[in-house]
Amino acid sequence: MSSPRAETPGANRRLMARRREAGLLLLGLPALLLLALVFAWPVLRLLSLSVEGGTLAHFEKAALDGLYVTVLLDSLRIAALVTAICLALAYPVAFWLSRAGRLGLALGMFALLLPFWTSVLVRTYAWMVLLGRNGIVNRMLRDAGWIEAPLPLLHNTTGVLIGMVHVLLPYMVLPIYAALLRVDPDLSRAAEGLGAPAWRSFLRVTFPLSLPGVSAGCALVFVLSLGFFITPALLGGGHVIMISMLIEQQVREFLEWPFAAALSTVLLLATLAIYALIGRLTRGARLATP
Amino acid sequence: MQLSVTGIIRRFGPVAALGGVDLDVAEGEFLTILGPSGSGKTTLLKAIAGFEIPDEGAVRLGGQDVTLAPPRSREVGMVFQNYALFPHMSVAQNIAFPLEMRRRPRAEVRERVAEALRLVELDSFGDRLPRQLSGGQQQRVALARAIVFNPRLLLLDEPFGALDRKLRESLQLEVRRLQRRLKLTTLFITHDQEEALIMSDRIAVMDKGRIQQIGLPGELYARPASRFVADFLGESNLLEGRARNGVAELAGFGAVPLPPAQPDGKVTLLLRPEALRIGASTAALPCRAEAVVLDTVFLGQSAKLRLQLDGGTEMLARLPLRPSDPPPPPEGSRVALGFAPEDLHVVPQG
Amino acid sequence: MPVITRRGLLQASGLIVPSLAAPAYAQGAPPSKPDRIVVNASGGAMANFLRRAYFADFEREHGIRVIDTSPVDFGKLRAMVNSGNPEWTVTEIGGQDADRAREMNLVEPIDTSIVDLSKYPAIGRQSHIFVGSAYSTVLGFRSDVFKDGSHPKGWAEFWDVARFPGARSLRNHPVDNLEFALLADGVPMDKLYPLDMDRAFRKLDQIRPHIAVWWSTGAQPAQMLVDKEVVLATGWNGRFFELAKKNAPVGSEFRGGSLKSSAWGIPRGTRHAYWGQKFLQTMTNPKLQAIYATELSYAGLHPDTVNYVAEELRPLLPTAPANLAQQFWLDVAWWTENGARAQERWNRWMLQRG
Repeated sequence: MSSPRAETPGANRRLMARRREAGLLLLGLPALLLLALVFAWPVLRLLSLSVEGGTLAHFEKAALDGLYVTVLLDSLRIAALVTAICLALAYPVAFWLSRAGRLGLALGMFALLLPFWTSVLVRTYAWMVLLGRNGIVNRMLRDAGWIEAPLPLLHNTTGVLIGMVHVLLPYMVLPIYAALLRVDPDLSRAAEGLGAPAWRSFLRVTFPLSLPGVSAGCALVFVLSLGFFITPALLGGGHVIMISMLIEQQVREFLEWPFAAALSTVLLLATLAIYALIGRLTRGARLATP
Repeated sequence: MQLSVTGIIRRFGPVAALGGVDLDVAEGEFLTILGPSGSGKTTLLKAIAGFEIPDEGAVRLGGQDVTLAPPRSREVGMVFQNYALFPHMSVAQNIAFPLEMRRRPRAEVRERVAEALRLVELDSFGDRLPRQLSGGQQQRVALARAIVFNPRLLLLDEPFGALDRKLRESLQLEVRRLQRRLKLTTLFITHDQEEALIMSDRIAVMDKGRIQQIGLPGELYARPASRFVADFLGESNLLEGRARNGVAELAGFGAVPLPPAQPDGKVTLLLRPEALRIGASTAALPCRAEAVVLDTVFLGQSAKLRLQLDGGTEMLARLPLRPSDPPPPPEGSRVALGFAPEDLHVVPQG
Repeated sequence: MPVITRRGLLQASGLIVPSLAAPAYAQGAPPSKPDRIVVNASGGAMANFLRRAYFADFEREHGIRVIDTSPVDFGKLRAMVNSGNPEWTVTEIGGQDADRAREMNLVEPIDTSIVDLSKYPAIGRQSHIFVGSAYSTVLGFRSDVFKDGSHPKGWAEFWDVARFPGARSLRNHPVDNLEFALLADGVPMDKLYPLDMDRAFRKLDQIRPHIAVWWSTGAQPAQMLVDKEVVLATGWNGRFFELAKKNAPVGSEFRGGSLKSSAWGIPRGTRHAYWGQKFLQTMTNPKLQAIYATELSYAGLHPDTVNYVAEELRPLLPTAPANLAQQFWLDVAWWTENGARAQERWNRWMLQRG
């Protein structure tokens, strides 16, 4: 029997599919609207601010002036370092969590998320107490007789990296953990059954399959790193300048919104470019032939 | 013996998943472990593959004790229930994996992968990713990957479970053909008794962590060693009665002669549905009764009837049907039925 | 006077908002009392001291509650005034923004018929800005390292790393530092402005290798001196005052200190501007200023304030006559004009690794 509304069953199916699509769209609509309101709109405003008065002068300065280029490159370098250290520390933790029992998982997650309960500022001051010349770490090392002069852990790049990694580590652990959970445990069993030692099974099977989590974590940590300014200002002792510090300076101190907008736009573009690069690299790695 | 399992016990807390299993599989043999879920067959498989270390007992492969050996050194090919194909590797890379782990030269790997692909008739699919294949094709890739390195033993863990009936049947035959041709010692795990009957050289029926009976398919079918086996393997009429002087008194049928040397006391008799006959042809049979047809199911080449004897006992009958035969008796009709005493099997009391 | 009569009529009929007619409250009865006014300030511990010193007294006298908010935010002030309905009745304004606030027409004029500034020094008698208190960026030092007055006195000695060895900390900001560098280079206090930036940065080059930390929050220098992370640091005198009250081994030196005033204003168009003026009048009370100064050392400009502060604390106030004479007032106008340029040059200078 043919439907009274459509001549062919194919048309019927298409109609149904269209309806289902529309239904799904409707479900996502509130989130889309919210995103448009709190994200797309401000970004557009920012862009329009940066070309206020119909001039590209702000961009010219933001993109060509040695000061801002150097700081931008420095910021990218620090963000990359933070990302790399986070990855190195987070992967084993995520792996352990994905294999842990219920108690281990609960304890691990608690320890991992505990820092979120205190403010970034408090944590940063805590690091200052720990890492200073006469801080707890240096005192312990000195008392143990391992060092004579205090290690320069604070007020330099090392301090900034330690503080930022501490704050951002959970953002790396959680996506990798989620990705590892999605990897079928039978796959590593299969690999071992087919003759792979545990480490080769990990390198050839588990790790490549967790790459979506790795790339999500890297993108997250990298982007968040670029936005940091309190932690690097305090733990860097002024020796580390991040582009976000300069943007904040322009907004707060000089009310130079157009120039701040231009700087932000340059930062946004650089971030997007790197994000695309990460995406391409990991996609490449996922499909790479050995 | 290619595979020899002796006295394997594996406990999970107070529960014994395996309660002392002994099993021998000859070289080139296709042996099926048949059992319901929870019978311990998967634990047994894991112990043989090396993913599970038994608390007691030993696993020997080709005469070598591998009870404690890691999976990678056992030379056992396994096809997982969900195939466990590496989703990020192409079909060819999946199949090459065990060879690469054995550090075979590149040229040899290429050649053997091509050969394995030919064997499972997927010659032109080497570059595809697993997700681009149908379920049956994925299953064949998993098989190719499991045999490409000439394992000492092939383990198949319910590999046809996810496939539709038609595909399952053709793959069953294909796997069986391949196994014969390559003379692969194979241990096959399933809960599907029909599948077990189709494929196996021998079948071991498992229940509650133990092997209940092991033997040729026909043997198990005709002479089950326990009620459980009789019930699990094929359809059955299990008739209870009392034996005295070589004769059993059965409700509806009266006195039925038993095989010689049957001691007096309670007996359980197995009568397969196809041994029960209906209608005029029963006149010559020594054991006869009358019954009402409760329902009739037409199955093409046969019909299945549920019958109720006058005493209330229900029985199953299967009538072979040729195209020229009259239709089977309808629901509610009264029929005569009967069987030959030699078709009875006395199920040992357990 | 017909004009005033008409205005009074319009006001009475509600056709114009009273604040637009300000500051003509003196004529006629005060506007009706609101049940609350909002005072915006820096927040933190300072809010407690403001409440103890001024809010409590204002509430007692007028029966109007003072709601305090924070932080000080010039961009928000601008947005509020532009929106036509400022939430704040009175707000503190960051030192460098005070002139801008007046130039951008963001604050009401100070009504001297309500706010009595007659005894105030010239620096405290401004048309649109009320000077709440003065503070100073001074030289802090470890008093166990530099004992019995052996600490550097003034910036030339701060720069003298041979006589006064040890790690130092300066603020990561050009304000104060350019002045300190010029003073260290021999420029007299009254000839500082306009600042010679080239000369200042050349002088800064000399001290840079000895600056272990460029601080960015007010709490840092005090903490670093306590932790002995550095032995010399610039910092806001209130922070060192706090340590001195706790008998920490940290001292401070006012010579060459950079005085600044905390600025307060009444956002233009705010509803209870009259009561804002009244609030500022409360803040001129020297006895209340003394309460605040005793807590924070940030003393108001009323000349009598010092007399109400305990004698042993007087030398620690930046406004004590002996201290005032040794310090200079930061030229806010110069910084308003040149701040962005100086900051950019500062950033560039910070980037030169050396």
